[in-house]
Amino acid sequence: MSLGVLLVEDDRELRATLSEALKVEGYRVVASASLADARAVIASALAESGIDIVLLDLGLPDGDGDTLLAELRRERGTPVIVISARPGDSQKVRLLDAGADDYLVKPFSLAELLARMRVALRHRGTLTRPATVRYERPGLLVDLEVRRVYREGAEVHLTPTEYRLLSRLVRSAGQVVTHRQLLLDVWGAEYTEHTHYLRLYMAQLRAKLEPEPADPQVLLTEPGVGYRLAEPGD
Amino acid sequence: MTRREGPPRRSHWPPVAAWALAWICLFALDPYLDLANKALILVLTAAVAAIWSGPWISLLASAAAVLAFNFSFVPPRGVFTVDLHQHALLLVAMLTVSWIVALLVTRLRWHAAQASAHSLRSDQLRRLGDALRAEEDPVLQAAALQDVLSGIAGSPTTLWLAGASHDAAGGAPVMVGPATADEAAGLRLCLQEGRAMGPGTGRHEEQPAWYLPLRGLQCPHGAALVRDTADAAAQAGLLAHAQALCDQLGSALERAAALRAASAASEQAQSHALRNTLLTAISHDHRTPLATILGAASALHDQGERLSAAQIRRLAATIVDEAAQLSRLTDNTLQLARLGAAGLAPQRDWESVEEMVGTVLRRVRQRDPSQRVKARVEPGLPLLRCDAVLIVQLLDNLVDNALKHGGAGAPVEVLARHRDGQVVIAVRDRGPGVPPALRGRIFDTFQRGDSIVPPDDVDRRPRRGAGIGLALCRAIARVHGGELRLRPRAHGGASFELVLPVDVMPDEVVRGDSGGPVP
Repeated sequence: MSLGVLLVEDDRELRATLSEALKVEGYRVVASASLADARAVIASALAESGIDIVLLDLGLPDGDGDTLLAELRRERGTPVIVISARPGDSQKVRLLDAGADDYLVKPFSLAELLARMRVALRHRGTLTRPATVRYERPGLLVDLEVRRVYREGAEVHLTPTEYRLLSRLVRSAGQVVTHRQLLLDVWGAEYTEHTHYLRLYMAQLRAKLEPEPADPQVLLTEPGVGYRLAEPGD
Repeated sequence: MTRREGPPRRSHWPPVAAWALAWICLFALDPYLDLANKALILVLTAAVAAIWSGPWISLLASAAAVLAFNFSFVPPRGVFTVDLHQHALLLVAMLTVSWIVALLVTRLRWHAAQASAHSLRSDQLRRLGDALRAEEDPVLQAAALQDVLSGIAGSPTTLWLAGASHDAAGGAPVMVGPATADEAAGLRLCLQEGRAMGPGTGRHEEQPAWYLPLRGLQCPHGAALVRDTADAAAQAGLLAHAQALCDQLGSALERAAALRAASAASEQAQSHALRNTLLTAISHDHRTPLATILGAASALHDQGERLSAAQIRRLAATIVDEAAQLSRLTDNTLQLARLGAAGLAPQRDWESVEEMVGTVLRRVRQRDPSQRVKARVEPGLPLLRCDAVLIVQLLDNLVDNALKHGGAGAPVEVLARHRDGQVVIAVRDRGPGVPPALRGRIFDTFQRGDSIVPPDDVDRRPRRGAGIGLALCRAIARVHGGELRLRPRAHGGASFELVLPVDVMPDEVVRGDSGGPVP
């Protein structure tokens, strides 16, 4: 059975274009132009064939996406990808902090959208299924089960904090993890404003894991948002 | 500043003691001194006592002393009659000299008091002037005046400032200090008419307080209420002094209002200029990619069946490329508009230079996979307090420029290092460089380096899009308190250098390789 996509986008042209393109890729697309519309779709579609992923545009005519995101998160772990209109959008970061899976900034290419959707769908349901425990790409292997990290076949020694940071990123490999989420999960609730910790420990991790830290291939930065561990296949 | 003006306080003990001493001496030395010497002692005592006594007391005391002297020492003693003419003359002379001395001393004292009051007032004026200059907030300026006026009157003062808030429009009136409804109405009236009211002013003399306008050159900017002036009004010139103090605040408020108006006007002019710039940007730079996109898309739409698969691919690729270009232009234009909007501050956080450079490289690779861009980031650079989205946009524009203008296939270098307490990030190419004539203007909007290449060189015609790019880059550098400079390179090529200040890091950060700050 094909996967169901709920596209919440108020611009008619973009909605039509994306629906078309996603249908070509084999997705079953339900489009809606407002939050109210989207809620109605969820209520009916959940009963029928289900929505597997939501693409949520910000700045909809009837409000921002916070409430919809909360409802989706409460009902079940449907992945949500936030589509934002500008790079410095703080609402986008807020939704990511609130549990959205990833984000795209307009304009984006279809390839980017499909890649983000693939990653989000792969991580779907991590609450019930075992978390990603092994991250592998040429030259790098992270095995969370045995708590070992190898670079070019040689084991790399990480400090406890570095290891916690890396394993948090591995669990969301391919997805953006906001500064706040990382600080919360690695350091604790009282450190969520201490972005400078992250900068320093990410630099240490890069120095240990990247062949060229100033030109990273694995530990990627999303300015103003957070970090992303490159997809294993990238 | 709260010294109070008024007559110096006088003690009655010194003159009483002087007179007592004098009479004791006179009686004790009576057998040894003749009448003239005793008269001299008495005149001397009268002069000494006048130093401490008021004029009337001095005159009365002298007269009484001369009478008593006559009674006690002038023969025949024990009666007020005088036998000899010389003695009568002596008594009259004594009395006259004593009175003249008393009057002279009084005049001297009055002059001294005047001089002291004058110096106190000019001191108050000067210190108020200093306080007004040192303070920018009109309410605090008013508090300085209030302090002085309360000191003069010896009772609390209230000020009413017309439109004293900082915004350009002038804002709402502010009342500094308490006022009853009547007093507030008086202040408003005083401000309206711009003239003083109260005792000694010739208007509303029955009022128990002074209402003084805070006069500027053009109009009053408020009013002051000085209470309990019955005492103060008796002093000559105090009203004029209080008015002078009030006028000083009036001038200060007027100055501030003029500055606000000037800054508002300049802001408006800037925003006009920015709007024109942006409109020009949209009309110049956005139309060309739009035209290309429209051309290619309409070709696909209208001629779809007649095009070969390769042609369709080419047209589609053109649309993708031009749309990406247009997107970049739009980002730049919007960002410049945002930075130009008053009061918009960058969202600063602690950011790593290595990460920002890494992000730029990754983005550039997606557009230009030729691996021409290399980065070198000095190890151990401090974190910067900046807006990473803006700095990445800045560096991205610089690298994009270097790729376009730096010569086909030539390497582009991003170099970050620590120098003299600042971080310098240079984007360097080996292209033809920027001609000297253009260097001064390259950061102005709509300088595109057009004169770098001859106009007939079709392949190297000026590229679109740099029009707003460098202006935006400089604007981003400046909102971070930094600077963007162009430096020609010794062996050809241009180096654009972004210099950013380094802030002090929070102390608790542990740089070591230990567990670090782990709870």
